[in-house]
Amino acid sequence: MNTPDLLTLYGETFNSRFLLGTALYRSPEDMSKAIKASHSEFITLSLRRQNPQQNEGESFWQLIKDTGCKLLPNTAGCRSAKEAINLAEMSRELFETNWIKLEVIGDEYNLQPDPFELLIAAQELIKRGFKVLPYCTDDLVLCMRLKDAGCQALMPWGAPIGTGQGLLNKYHLSALRERITDTPLIIDAGIRSPSQAANAMEMGYDAVLLNTAVAKADDPALMAQAFKLAIEAGRSAYLAGLMPARQTALPSTPVLGQPFWHQNK
Amino acid sequence: MIDATNIAIVGAGLVGRLLAVELSKHSINVTLYEKDNLANLKDQHASAAAFTAAGMIAPISETIDSDIDTYHLGATSIKLWPSIIEHLKNQHLQQVEFQTNGSLIIAHPQDQAELDFFKLNTERLTRRCNAQFQAVDDSQIHSLEPDLSSTFKQGLFLPDEAQIDNRQLMSSLLLACKAQNVSIIDNTPVQIRNNCVVSKDTQHAFDLVFDCRGFGAKQQLTNLRGVRGEVLRVSCDEFTLSRPVRLMHPRYQLYLAPKPNKHFVIGATQIESEDQSAVSVQSMMELCSALYSISPAFAEARILEQNTNLRPALANNKPCIQVCDKHISINGLFRHGYLIAPAIIHSVMSWLNGKECQHFNHLFTFTEQSHA
Repeated sequence: MNTPDLLTLYGETFNSRFLLGTALYRSPEDMSKAIKASHSEFITLSLRRQNPQQNEGESFWQLIKDTGCKLLPNTAGCRSAKEAINLAEMSRELFETNWIKLEVIGDEYNLQPDPFELLIAAQELIKRGFKVLPYCTDDLVLCMRLKDAGCQALMPWGAPIGTGQGLLNKYHLSALRERITDTPLIIDAGIRSPSQAANAMEMGYDAVLLNTAVAKADDPALMAQAFKLAIEAGRSAYLAGLMPARQTALPSTPVLGQPFWHQNK
Repeated sequence: MIDATNIAIVGAGLVGRLLAVELSKHSINVTLYEKDNLANLKDQHASAAAFTAAGMIAPISETIDSDIDTYHLGATSIKLWPSIIEHLKNQHLQQVEFQTNGSLIIAHPQDQAELDFFKLNTERLTRRCNAQFQAVDDSQIHSLEPDLSSTFKQGLFLPDEAQIDNRQLMSSLLLACKAQNVSIIDNTPVQIRNNCVVSKDTQHAFDLVFDCRGFGAKQQLTNLRGVRGEVLRVSCDEFTLSRPVRLMHPRYQLYLAPKPNKHFVIGATQIESEDQSAVSVQSMMELCSALYSISPAFAEARILEQNTNLRPALANNKPCIQVCDKHISINGLFRHGYLIAPAIIHSVMSWLNGKECQHFNHLFTFTEQSHA
């Protein structure tokens, strides 16, 4: 009997290894259908633009609640540790959750995380009892420092948010996976196609978080399903163990028993 | 015509006024209810989404973030607008500006990917319908719009898009209602109970009641939500535009629509919130920096108005004509009021005449009467 292959984040387990964002859909209905098709259990949302305060965003908020998924508020748009900490506190109060996807942006145009402010914010939020999932670059030392700060999962980028460039630095990403073996690593941002998500999972990443690739697809629900399957396929491939790549051909059928006229072709 | 001689319309927004004008062409007594004071323009500008809007009629651009039904409703409407305007002109000799110079889609070089994506989606759309587009380079952009900043090297020209002066239209529709003997009861918030319109002290029964209140129908239509939009109206003497321009950007899409008297409308943000408070600093910065990047001439423009309004939307962001016995609700026009309203009114008129137009199946739903 196989034990189920679960994702564990801060002691909580999830069946799905696909985290999905709730922004940029053509309509809330498209969003709901995509979330359903993704089988995602954990969805991100932004306090800045989806504000349930004073019933103002109540209708949209209700649609998000109706998905039945666990909510992962983010600190999108914050540019300093202080700002991100304040927004995290507001999110905790409004969404009634300790979980926070910590984003501190250092460059406005490519939305690159600011590693210095991110670390400061992560340290403080962990102290305050948050379950922090930091959106970070693929820098090994930064990731180790975030881990030291108490982050029990890390979310390095594949590429800048919304670019769809895929896994830009596979060397860094695989080095990260080889060096950080005891903490879940989630690829967050930059994914365009299911094959890229599968690739991340084959490399041993624990989960994938994305938004634009699904939201901006012609058929978001179908794309969500495609990502779900790809992420499952990549995970299975990782667990199954990939054969090593090699430079020279190795026939899968021994040639000794073949007739000579075939061997000479 | 259907057996109805006494019809009420609740809500004197774009849909309510268009419907009142159409119905009152026939031998029908039409009563138009409105919660605001129709003599007070300032009041109206603050409340009806139709006044805040830019009046763009952009079936292709809008379909990129919507679906093919929107395109077809828009294509029908574009054909209907000239006859509506002609009718208004004949009624009281007031001209409503209707511009059919197409629209221009542009992007800064660093946002080329957004333009490419838009183009890809436009190509897909043209394969499914007879929408037209033309890729344009910098010299073509500048022959179309000489005042645009020279940083725009590539774009798309959509020849079949149009825009209307929405404020002229709204006042003209109201004048036509009066000329066609529509009874207008403004300053009167009401509730609708099937075929009865109930105000604070009176109750009137009609053969049919149309609910055209937009977001104002929220209490009755529980699945309706408001989507915040913010726009600026500026004046700029140094800049001329012959058609609406849409600016691509990774995080939002903005349009600039020229209006009479060197006025321009720039909008619109789209935020999932029912907050109707004033424009936020962030949105103001985004709108103003877009203006400035379209042309530095806007540095000396004057901000005449900053408006916030709520687009009435259903979960699929598509319009719906919901018929429940004698109560017909027309709602969910979202950001597409001027684009699709004529087609919707046309569909309603066909249905009243016992016919099903091409949009019937995706517009109409029929529900059993509830106690409400």
